[in-house]
Amino acid sequence: MTDSLEQLSASGRALLNRRDYLSQSATALGGIALSSLLHEQGLLAATPSTPHINPAQPYAPRDSHFPARAKNVVVIFCAGAVSQLETWDYKPQLIEWDDKPLPGGPAVTFQGPAGNLARPQYNFRQRGETGKWVSDMIPHLAELTDDIAFIHSLTSKSNTHGPAENFLSTGFVLDGFPSLGSWVTYALGSESQNLPAYVAIPDPRGVPQNGSNNWGPGFLPAAFQGTTFSSKEPVRHLTAAGTTPRQDAATRRLLDQMNARHLATHPGDEKLAARIASYELAARMQLSMPGLSDLSTEPQHILSMYGADDTENADKAAFARNCILARRLIEQGVRFVQLFNGAYASGGKLNWDGHSALKDQYDVHAAILDQPAAALIRDLRQRGLLEETLVVWCTEFGRMPFFQKGAKGRDHNPDGFTCWLTGAGVRPGVSHGATDDFGQRAITEIHPLYDFNATILHLLGLDHERLTFEHNGIQRRLTNVEGHVIHEVLRT
Amino acid sequence: MFLTSRTILVAGWAIMISHCALLAAAESPDFVRDVRPILQKHCYSCHAAEKQKSGYRLDIKAAAFRGGELYGASLKPGDLAASPLFQFIADPNADLQMPPDGERLSTAEIETLKRWIEGGANWPDGVDLATLEDRTDHWSFHPVKRAELPSVGQTAWPRNEIDHFILSRLEAAGLEPSAETDRVSWLRRVYLNLIGLPPTPEQVAAFVDDTRPDAYARVVDELLQSPRYGERWAQHWLDVVRYADTHGFEVNTERPNAWPYRDYVIRALNNDTPYDRFIREQIVGDALGVDAATGFLITASVLLPGQIGKDEPSKRLARQDSIDEIVVNVGQTFLGLSVGCARCHDHKFDPISQRDYYAMQALVAGVEYEERVPDTPEVRAIREAAATDQKRLAVVDAELAQYVPLAGSGATRPMINARQNVDRFAPREAQRLKLTILATNNLEPCIDELEIFNTSGENIALASRGAKVTSSGDNVSPNRHELRFLNDGEYGNSRSWMSNEMGRGWVTVELAEPQMIQRVHWGRDRQGKFTDRLAIDYRLEVSSSDGSWHDVATAADREPYAPNAPKSQVTTLEGLTDEERSIAAPLLAERELLQKQIQAAEQLPRYFAGQFRTPDDIHLLSRGDPEQPKERAIPAVLSTFGTVNLTSEAGDRERRVALADWIANPGHPLTARVMVNRIWQGHFGVGLVETASDFGRSGMPASHPELHDWLADEFVQSGWSIKELHRRIVLSATYRQSSAYRETPAQQDADVRLLWRFPPRRLDAEILRDSMLATSGQLDLTMYGRGFDLFNQRGGLSGFTPVEHFTGQGLRRMIYAHKVRRERDAVFGAFDCPDAGQSTARRRESTTPLQALNLLNSGFTLDCAAALQSRVIREVGADPADQIRRAYQLVLNRDPVDEELADCLVVVQEHDLTVLCRALYNSNEALFLP
Repeated sequence: MTDSLEQLSASGRALLNRRDYLSQSATALGGIALSSLLHEQGLLAATPSTPHINPAQPYAPRDSHFPARAKNVVVIFCAGAVSQLETWDYKPQLIEWDDKPLPGGPAVTFQGPAGNLARPQYNFRQRGETGKWVSDMIPHLAELTDDIAFIHSLTSKSNTHGPAENFLSTGFVLDGFPSLGSWVTYALGSESQNLPAYVAIPDPRGVPQNGSNNWGPGFLPAAFQGTTFSSKEPVRHLTAAGTTPRQDAATRRLLDQMNARHLATHPGDEKLAARIASYELAARMQLSMPGLSDLSTEPQHILSMYGADDTENADKAAFARNCILARRLIEQGVRFVQLFNGAYASGGKLNWDGHSALKDQYDVHAAILDQPAAALIRDLRQRGLLEETLVVWCTEFGRMPFFQKGAKGRDHNPDGFTCWLTGAGVRPGVSHGATDDFGQRAITEIHPLYDFNATILHLLGLDHERLTFEHNGIQRRLTNVEGHVIHEVLRT
Repeated sequence: MFLTSRTILVAGWAIMISHCALLAAAESPDFVRDVRPILQKHCYSCHAAEKQKSGYRLDIKAAAFRGGELYGASLKPGDLAASPLFQFIADPNADLQMPPDGERLSTAEIETLKRWIEGGANWPDGVDLATLEDRTDHWSFHPVKRAELPSVGQTAWPRNEIDHFILSRLEAAGLEPSAETDRVSWLRRVYLNLIGLPPTPEQVAAFVDDTRPDAYARVVDELLQSPRYGERWAQHWLDVVRYADTHGFEVNTERPNAWPYRDYVIRALNNDTPYDRFIREQIVGDALGVDAATGFLITASVLLPGQIGKDEPSKRLARQDSIDEIVVNVGQTFLGLSVGCARCHDHKFDPISQRDYYAMQALVAGVEYEERVPDTPEVRAIREAAATDQKRLAVVDAELAQYVPLAGSGATRPMINARQNVDRFAPREAQRLKLTILATNNLEPCIDELEIFNTSGENIALASRGAKVTSSGDNVSPNRHELRFLNDGEYGNSRSWMSNEMGRGWVTVELAEPQMIQRVHWGRDRQGKFTDRLAIDYRLEVSSSDGSWHDVATAADREPYAPNAPKSQVTTLEGLTDEERSIAAPLLAERELLQKQIQAAEQLPRYFAGQFRTPDDIHLLSRGDPEQPKERAIPAVLSTFGTVNLTSEAGDRERRVALADWIANPGHPLTARVMVNRIWQGHFGVGLVETASDFGRSGMPASHPELHDWLADEFVQSGWSIKELHRRIVLSATYRQSSAYRETPAQQDADVRLLWRFPPRRLDAEILRDSMLATSGQLDLTMYGRGFDLFNQRGGLSGFTPVEHFTGQGLRRMIYAHKVRRERDAVFGAFDCPDAGQSTARRRESTTPLQALNLLNSGFTLDCAAALQSRVIREVGADPADQIRRAYQLVLNRDPVDEELADCLVVVQEHDLTVLCRALYNSNEALFLP
């Protein structure tokens, strides 16, 4: 953790160590006194917790609020709103009521007039020991249901993709709030000092519908922004184009000399030392990142397991390579990996926004998602990484039980949809909450997405009410003033 | 009296409940002994000091009686039915059931409360365990108080008033101010700070040699006069108002005419527009002749119509969100208050009720996120000219109508059109004229007016001139279609004749006396609204007094009728006599010119500065939910801070004027304080109040309250001059201190809040980029207008590929970049550039390895390094030592010391100068304010 200081002059090293020590010990001592005081008053839960960020090492690992069940997170984010009715939320009533109007249903939904109820577009069958009904659209993921905790009763605050993806990713429908990954890395730093703490991997077909706001730092320091790269697109500016390694090395040497001399004439300023350290971190990233995307070192059976060698389906193979990249990042100790499946608005062609021809489009999307994502979870498990990694599968909202008038697709439905968790700390084989008989509205154990995010933080040892950041007079949280941990999906 | 009899009645029932109750029944329950324990047990977890759900607390007498947000007074002594509190706990049919979950009150407990209320709800004064804090008693809510200058020990140190305040605090803390910084460091500091660009080596040399006593002041005046000043400081303002050139949210499409607001801010700062005026212009600039300024109101992200659900709740929510953004922006920008917190509930800390919040909404509820044509002198001139052109065009058209080719002359005549058709022929004597319609485009033909002109140009077909009309048969709609309307002199469908036969019919006009005629005008609808029922084949015949009929015109030589063809125009002089040509030709030319001018006037400039209309009816919303409206909100300002006289009927502009007047009032406790603090923050990195957009009770107190108030007062006294404020700050001894670290004061005040030195800080992203362009000789100083691109797209869905190499427009200052909301520039975004999602009152300075990668390896840096190399060689020639010196002077404003020169020489000789340039652009010295 401190070996990046080796490059610094003695005075710089001393400076960083001293400042670090002072502030940490001050926090620690003050913390003890304060927490015991608060404990007596029963106020501990509401106390904000401000992570101590060492400016020279913004990604240094930091303590959670309480012992964490999960160390790292992979979020599989399906952009465009996956239909719960074609995947995880089996509604046999829809078969009976196929092509009949929904009694008392709305006349107009997001895109316009509502048509008749429509049966699930895939067959469902029971899976595993729990006998969970899952559709044939996703046969590989369906095999994992015994390990999954489903939450079938989620609700969103918006029925529009942008605000709803904002809400899922940041807890607010408006633009400009910090994303989940930013909050997590702000709180916990990362186990890896050679890689970014937070990586967002866009779908090979393009950026998700809500673009970079899904991994933006909002008003948190820029250090906690998600870094984007994928098996297709390397990190920008990792190397210089048009210079030779000799020139690069000479530049670095000269820069080191300049900065060392400057630091010597400006003793005591930690910001200067921090910038010097950041160049050292950058150099390490330059060394460690290129190898990450080089999949030639993966054995054939792994490539086949993910479908990365699928020559028939280039999008699937590319998504599979992203999944392997995600596993490698987790192996390296990266704290938060956001893996996108589904690109921008395209009439449902490039993402899960199945308004008009849902079945035809979902056949395409499911083939890309299913095998690679299932392989990622299996691979994490076989390497023992699932013991400490939380895997989240999510989408911004669900879809209506009826088709849109004159179409063969379903409109936006924020009132009842499914996301799930698996891996570290998650109770396996649970189906929590339910929608009504047609899958339109959550009716039991209703959970706004606040609760979902509060639960994710909880698994990481973070109290969503204490993880705050002051912005324009408000102690902001991921969960605004809401949020309850869904204890039913936690391993006891 | 009557209370007693009730108490007795109740007492009878209470016997059945418990012995305890029986005892108590003899007298009304005692609040402290009997009532409060019940409230503590069941209510205080949600309605006391810690939480006040629905804005209600029950642990303080005044608050308990006043009630919460939803139901008004909650306790009425002696009246159970009028005491919602009792209804909620006792009546299973009441709107609310309290407590909402957990144990219900026992029958005995309910009974006690019942008797207590019936007995007059006696709550003695002075028994409350908590005291209601006076939320209006907060430093920033009190009037600004100008303090005397504090006395100081080191009387020689202060250069102006600021220094007295700073020094007296330092002395009180036992700290010494730092020594004066050297002239070059000060110069570099003040250049980067005021204009965002470093001084040139020549400017450095001139200042170092300037021994005049006012040399410093001269520099400051020069910089404040520079247009570069506004370009730098506008950025601070744009951060706060979250300005961007795209609409935000997932579609994030271009907002093409947002930039006039950015330019307005630059101009306003450069002109030193008084701050109170600056406020007014941004709220109600449409009334002040400064249209671009109201772009302020609608800088937020907004959902475009296509992104909003077709269902009504979606539309209501979207509108609420967009009005909320205006209120939030006004509150935090000008007042430093988080007014938006009161959208769902009364503000948790500040004296802002939900009612206040919706009253504020009502002030701006007439604002739409739309473009409008500005009401500038230029636009007015263009519009006036266009109106004149339009009138003249009508005259020209009428005149030209006389010069269509003669019927039957062999020339092709214009196509029939619905407005008006002209048939010219050689003058001929006529007693009667007959128009026979042979075909229509559809239905029965309709003619709004038939005019016959004699050789003197008079219409003699008019009934008023004695002409009489007959027809083949009429479709009559009284007062709309009648035969008499054919020659009544009035145009339009509602004064027209209609035949009673499909596709045909005829009319004749009998003149009062035979006359020489030469022209006939007829049309379907000269007002241009109707194009159906149009005669597209016809014959015009004339009979002289001898009774014989002769054709004078038919449709045969007209251009064939085609309904979608462009409007038929007179474009030919064919078939005209020489004399006619000499008149018609210049008219034709004029016509063409007029049409061009009119077309150009339709392309008026548009600003994304709001459309203003009748305000929406705003209601209080339960929990901020548009589906749960409560009573109507009357437009008003925050009640703690003033009042305005507005009714619900007040128009949009009247409301915004009231809002602006209230904020820009010199007596407003927050307005000047908030702004002087923003300016101070821009100079020292942190404001006197650290929470620049929160002056409320959860914000930080000022580090130097007296100085803060003194500056606020002085600011108003100076006529709200921002430049005066800058001048005072940068010419102070405080600002002139060295930034060198010192151990002793650092131990006491590590964050330099007492300003024992000038606090060094990393330069903002814009300064970095602009400075690299300036020192490498590439900076394009073109001001204003549409922004240049940082990405390959100006907005949209499918992701943004950054521009890697910049040329042309891309070499302008970064404030002129097309600002894509939510996307940070690929190189400088990592240096804490806001993304314009939420307001940024202060940029948090962070240090990341991605900054290092960007600044080392980006095309931008390499291009600047190459350009700097070329510039240096061009300026000093081939000697490597001279080159190194020049590069140092340009980038760091100093010469290299001998060791540096030696280090650099080795590198430059082994590689080239770009290695040095690239290193210089990455060096800490270049990146920090000295």
